[in-house]
Amino acid sequence: MNKQHIGKPMARVEDARLTSGQGSFIEDMNPLPNIHHAAILRSPYPHARIKAIRTEQAEQMPGVKGIVTGKDVVELTHPFPVGVTAPVKYYSLAVDKVRYVGEPVAVVVAKNRYLAEDALERIEVEYEPLPAVVDIETSLLADSPILHDEVGSNIANHRTFSYGDPDKAFREAELVVKHKFMFPKYSATPVETYGVIAHYQSSSDSLTIWSNFHGPFTLQSVMAAALRINSNQLRIMIPKDVGGSYGIKSGVYPYMVLMGVVSKKVGLPVKWIEDRQEHLMASSSGTDRVTWIEAAVKRDGTVTGLRMKMVDSVGAYVRAPEPACLYRTHSNSTGAYRIEHLAMETIAVMTNKSPTGLIRGYGGQQMYFPLERIMHMVATKLGLDPAEVLRRNLIAKEEFPYQTPSGGIYDSGDYRQAFEKLMSMAKYEEFRERQAKARQEGRYLGIGLACIVEPSGSNMGYITVALTPEERGRSLPKSGCAEGATVSIDPMGGISVRISTAPTGQGHETVSAQIVGEVLGVDPRTVKVIAEMDTLTSPWSVASGSYSSRFGPIGSSAVYQAAGKVREKLLRIAADQLGRSPDELVMETGKVVVRDDPTKQISLKRLVGSAHWNPQGLPAGTEPGIHETAFYTIPTALPPDENDLINGSATYGFVADAVTVEVDPATGDVQILDYFTIHDAGVLLNPLIADGQIMGGLAHGLGGALYEELAYDKNGQFLAGSFMDYLCPTATEIPKVTIAHIETPSPLTPLGAKGLGEGNTMSAPVVIANAVADAISPYGVTIDTLPLSPNRIWSWIQQAKSKEEELV
Amino acid sequence: MNGNGSVELNASVEQVWAKILDPEVLAECIMGCKELVLLEDGKYRADLAVGVAAVKGKYDATIQLTDVEELKSYKLIVRGEGAPGFVEAEGLIELIPAEEGTTTLTYAYQAEVGGKVASIGQRMLGGVAKLLISDFFKKMKKQVENEQKTA
Repeated sequence: MNKQHIGKPMARVEDARLTSGQGSFIEDMNPLPNIHHAAILRSPYPHARIKAIRTEQAEQMPGVKGIVTGKDVVELTHPFPVGVTAPVKYYSLAVDKVRYVGEPVAVVVAKNRYLAEDALERIEVEYEPLPAVVDIETSLLADSPILHDEVGSNIANHRTFSYGDPDKAFREAELVVKHKFMFPKYSATPVETYGVIAHYQSSSDSLTIWSNFHGPFTLQSVMAAALRINSNQLRIMIPKDVGGSYGIKSGVYPYMVLMGVVSKKVGLPVKWIEDRQEHLMASSSGTDRVTWIEAAVKRDGTVTGLRMKMVDSVGAYVRAPEPACLYRTHSNSTGAYRIEHLAMETIAVMTNKSPTGLIRGYGGQQMYFPLERIMHMVATKLGLDPAEVLRRNLIAKEEFPYQTPSGGIYDSGDYRQAFEKLMSMAKYEEFRERQAKARQEGRYLGIGLACIVEPSGSNMGYITVALTPEERGRSLPKSGCAEGATVSIDPMGGISVRISTAPTGQGHETVSAQIVGEVLGVDPRTVKVIAEMDTLTSPWSVASGSYSSRFGPIGSSAVYQAAGKVREKLLRIAADQLGRSPDELVMETGKVVVRDDPTKQISLKRLVGSAHWNPQGLPAGTEPGIHETAFYTIPTALPPDENDLINGSATYGFVADAVTVEVDPATGDVQILDYFTIHDAGVLLNPLIADGQIMGGLAHGLGGALYEELAYDKNGQFLAGSFMDYLCPTATEIPKVTIAHIETPSPLTPLGAKGLGEGNTMSAPVVIANAVADAISPYGVTIDTLPLSPNRIWSWIQQAKSKEEELV
Repeated sequence: MNGNGSVELNASVEQVWAKILDPEVLAECIMGCKELVLLEDGKYRADLAVGVAAVKGKYDATIQLTDVEELKSYKLIVRGEGAPGFVEAEGLIELIPAEEGTTTLTYAYQAEVGGKVASIGQRMLGGVAKLLISDFFKKMKKQVENEQKTA
């Protein structure tokens, strides 16, 4: 197809409103009269029994309309359903016990936020503090404090897997390299925090909730179940604009339920906007993870087998869709390499920290940190250059579609071509010379490499890998990654598109307009895209929403299919009117033309007009109007099989990074000299947006590498409650970045596109760690934790130095 | 968080002891404290208004004097709770007679905070604690030594 619009760097249609102050975000919304405002009382204790809550004084405060506590929540809701068998009761407010600092304990509703906040101070809560546990390994010990007595331990989920013959691989290995890695708890920090407006109507026992939630819409069923109402009594509406999320805003759903309960009890529409301190303390985050990894290696650097034990801390409650972080990358656990034997043990533990959930990269950064570090360590152990080890193990072009030992089906790729292109971009050999020279001058330069597979378009079935095949057998199999879209044309020819991908700033309106413009032969700027999601009127399914980079492979395909249906209908009508068959016709710039006789044509406007104004003139069997909906899923997104093989994502892209750094051993400061990244996300739908997504993902990954950590002290007190304490990279910290692409089209999506935007969030932490490890290799320091703060690097160097002195 | 220190007081052990057990004196020396209301023997209720970095607010506190060894030492236990979170501190105060009728007062404390005051005030906390404590003993020294002068 000779494309006019798809693949072109069209400027975003969203930006005109966003740059002129005309965006409409949740805080701008005032959909009802008489909205009252909520404020939330939160626990200062990481673990304590609630002995009493006294609200009488607060209730007497001026403007206060009502107060909700855990007692009301138990009366009015069920615990949130979650996909594990451990009997964890998670409600939207603490009941009997608090289990993390910041856990909601009570809600005050008042005429305005000021009065509500003032009233919070008058609520008296009597706590009996209990010992807390924050460390993953400690939480597994027999004498650890236990968060949920009814579970009996802190383990929320535990599974083991064996693919191929890992024992044989390790028996026959010429070298085994193993290490323990610790990935910290960190977050994403969207500019806009959580926001909810909830309106309960007793006459229909139904709730309408406006929120900057973006799915996954599987959680709509979780919310309805918690609220004990039918799913069509819970109408969720997403504002046109959401000020960023990076996964974190899917965690707003407990607050949606909470405000639903509050509105019901108080009998008023209620609005709650989270503040920044609440957001850092208690919204959501990625998991912290300890990984024990072992690689079975041949002397030439070939890795034949992997053993991984991964323990995720999901915070104080296992909250849906957790423990999915452990399984999101299950299908691509062997990364970009041909490794045939794999043993895995996965554990989710609960600790006295805030609950976790989606975050850009979801599971990828936690998984690639140990995997790409161990590849680097294999090279060091064998005295080989890391580039050689990667080359030796990368999957070859001829092997696609490639099935991984755990069941992933890598749809397409040319990893070696991309890698070689990266090496020449980064002038790898030249840098090695520069590094050697610098070292003679007492300077510490380093280069790091990482090759990762970027999964996109999650298959709903992957989450059920948390259950054993027997447990899964007891319920409906889960699979697919369905998304819907509607394209309609009004009687005057105005084209509109309705999508359910709940964008949070990724430009879905632009790309949808490009696709529809392409298919219908019109200017994309005349196509109106409605991205506001409404669960009562939008075309959606369980997998809908914005996460797992699913717009590229799935959302865009639904739009393409719906536009295709419209095109087909218009061609059918045109064929009838022109007395030709549809395949003799072409659609171009607002008209349908007979291919071999361009004098015969008919305008799009007239065709649309026929469908609306004169349905009697339509060919037999053609419905009036132009309004087509399509749902799209991928046939390879199957449920996990009885051997736990699972293809967890629709498509798999590739990212290779090379980063050069200089480390100052006197201060531990890391200076990034250059960051090269090459991507293969199949066919790019809009290269401008693609590069913007890559830069955003990279900035997030840079934060994980060097700055960000949601730190807790040993007692469970949270220590990173403001941007003075939680360090995020800003524009001045972003290094020089060179982005390149290759395009190997996905055979599975109609446009050949895959997802992108999470890749560098997954790769940046480890590639920077590899570069720093390379730079300070003369000190013999092993980097196995993040972030790489100057303080941490300096301490490692000091330790290494003093060890050396002891030896002397 | 913990720390320790000492102050030289130009008064006898007896004189110092009387002061450091006097609730009115204690109330005057504790920054942000208006008065101590006796709850039971050796235990007082107080409203403390303390600001740590951006976290300003009131704590409903109890201040308890325990392990009292006449003219030698006692333990001061402060527990405060309020909108900014909670504070729990324990200090051991000891008096050692020094030459020429003066007294050396040594103290050791440990303190823990929780909630908002920990999450956004942690990096300032050490400094604030030092300030509170040095202010306390500065005022106490003044109280003790002024008494000396007027006597």
